[in-house]
Amino acid sequence: MPIYDQGYRRYVARSPLQRARFWPITREPLRMLLLKRLFLALLLSSLAPLVVSALWIYIVTRYPESGRLLPIDGQLFGEMLKYQMLFGILLSVFGASGSIANDLRSGAMLVYLSRPLTKRDYLLGKLGVPLLLNLAVMLVPGLLLYLAGLGLAPEQYLRWHLAWIAPSIVAYSVAAGLAISLLTLAVSSLSRSARVAGIGLVAALVGLEMTRLILQYGFDRKEAVVVSLWADLKALGVALFAVPDPQIEISWVWPLLVLALVSVGCLLVLRARVRAVEIVT
Amino acid sequence: MTMPAMSQAGSGAEAATPAAVPAPASEASAPAPLEFVRASRWYSQVIALNDVSVRIPPGVTGLLGPNGAGKSTFLKLASGQLKPSQGEVRLLGRPAWGSPEVFHRVGICPEVDAFWEHLCGLDFLVHLLRLSGYDDQECRHRAENALHQVALLDAKHRKIGGYSKGMRQRVKLAQAIAHEPEVLLLDEPVSGMDPLNRRRVIELVRRLGREGRTVVVSSHILHEVEAMTRRVLLVHNGRIQAEGDVREIREMMDEHPHTVALRARDPRRLAAAIVGWPNVLSMSFGTDGEWLTAQTARPDEFYRSLHQPALDAGVVEMYSPDENLESVFRYLTTRGTPALEPAR
Repeated sequence: MPIYDQGYRRYVARSPLQRARFWPITREPLRMLLLKRLFLALLLSSLAPLVVSALWIYIVTRYPESGRLLPIDGQLFGEMLKYQMLFGILLSVFGASGSIANDLRSGAMLVYLSRPLTKRDYLLGKLGVPLLLNLAVMLVPGLLLYLAGLGLAPEQYLRWHLAWIAPSIVAYSVAAGLAISLLTLAVSSLSRSARVAGIGLVAALVGLEMTRLILQYGFDRKEAVVVSLWADLKALGVALFAVPDPQIEISWVWPLLVLALVSVGCLLVLRARVRAVEIVT
Repeated sequence: MTMPAMSQAGSGAEAATPAAVPAPASEASAPAPLEFVRASRWYSQVIALNDVSVRIPPGVTGLLGPNGAGKSTFLKLASGQLKPSQGEVRLLGRPAWGSPEVFHRVGICPEVDAFWEHLCGLDFLVHLLRLSGYDDQECRHRAENALHQVALLDAKHRKIGGYSKGMRQRVKLAQAIAHEPEVLLLDEPVSGMDPLNRRRVIELVRRLGREGRTVVVSSHILHEVEAMTRRVLLVHNGRIQAEGDVREIREMMDEHPHTVALRARDPRRLAAAIVGWPNVLSMSFGTDGEWLTAQTARPDEFYRSLHQPALDAGVVEMYSPDENLESVFRYLTTRGTPALEPAR
């Protein structure tokens, strides 16, 4: 066997795997997204419901009788987060529908998975993008509105019977954010085109909502709520924030179960689709 | 092209950086950096790699084989992208499959383009180095160094989407070497490059091998592999058909006589002198009247006896057209007979 010069430093003492190794996978796309004007405009416009809601709290504190239109209790937060969720979906479509599709198309997944990363790190990193976007437009405005409420109407929000609002905001934002993010990634992994994945995601959400409307109003099936992910998410909000909604007449347990099943299904899709090499048999 | 000014092995372990340890470069007992132990991989009914056992030592090894031979599967198993259906693949002493930590010390240059087209070359490398756990400053330093080695430093701020095919190849190579891995798996690293960069990359690969790194280069362009290394691994029909130095492999192939081409002032005189030798199996004359091609079963004996007849016949040129990689490859992968006409 030939004798070779070893003229390089051999790194054997490097820590096996570092913590938060998924973070660079999340950070780079977010950085790129924040450089896009259209995306920034969408992100800024997502603050509109927050501004309107904060203004409403101010109006109700000045003119209490106007609170009959929309009380500034949990309902206000539920209504606001419903709109915020819409922005969350839009941002996910815009910013993350190509997350895995682009890697599949460009072969970059191979490059990722030939680094000291596990498949889980890759998925966590990818999940981070839509999840952070969703939390940015749901959790942050929700908590900001709560803080605004504490500042503008402390006598209202410092009472025990409204103390559940803050934990509900967290729970709802995380649950909705996770479900939307997992669905975005799963759809993204089914295509090699960001555009197709984005259209597919919107089509799935809109299509299921249309199906729900047809079943619910055409066939008078109130349990059809579970068919639509949008309605499932709304039903969760109805339960958490006590928002009266005539369209949602079933227990929150079923929508929650559906969301959990959809999330598991998305994880299974991701597990099957995310691999460094495509096996052709 | 310069490699970073790294210290020689064992020349001092800096406290602030990972320790430099002496390399067990030539110890026979040391585990091979890359080892296949009865590894097989099949896809449904198709066996891509069949019961392969091989130890790949430090240095450059050319991975050869016709299309569909199992080269890609070999590399994918070696790089931990595929799980062996049976057996084991060990990379730096650990199973290649399911040991992501080992990829701190492994560089992979895939055959397919694997880029984010919107990134510039520098950002691409920096992003990938971040995944290896380096801080921003270190990432930038290493990225620039790697781009310098593949002569892409001038284009570091250009988007990869605007790179030519050769530049893309080079940036792929740069990402593979940027973290100074001990094991490099290069799939067609010079394809699409212009001659100048091809030569540059060949020299880079040779240098990486000389430094004691284990470099596996898959290529179907035989003369390029030959320019990088004499050590080859020939895969055919999912099995390792030959392994080792090309010349030694050739000498082992008894069933194929060695061809010796001789250009002489009087080739017929030379033919008359050697025709009675027992080790000469056949002879033929070239159409130009200057060349004599002989086939011999025992080349060493043939060359020993050739001295005086060659002087008498005025031999001015002599070479063996089938002692190169191409011939070895052809003999091993086909059942054809060697060409009798000297190929120039």
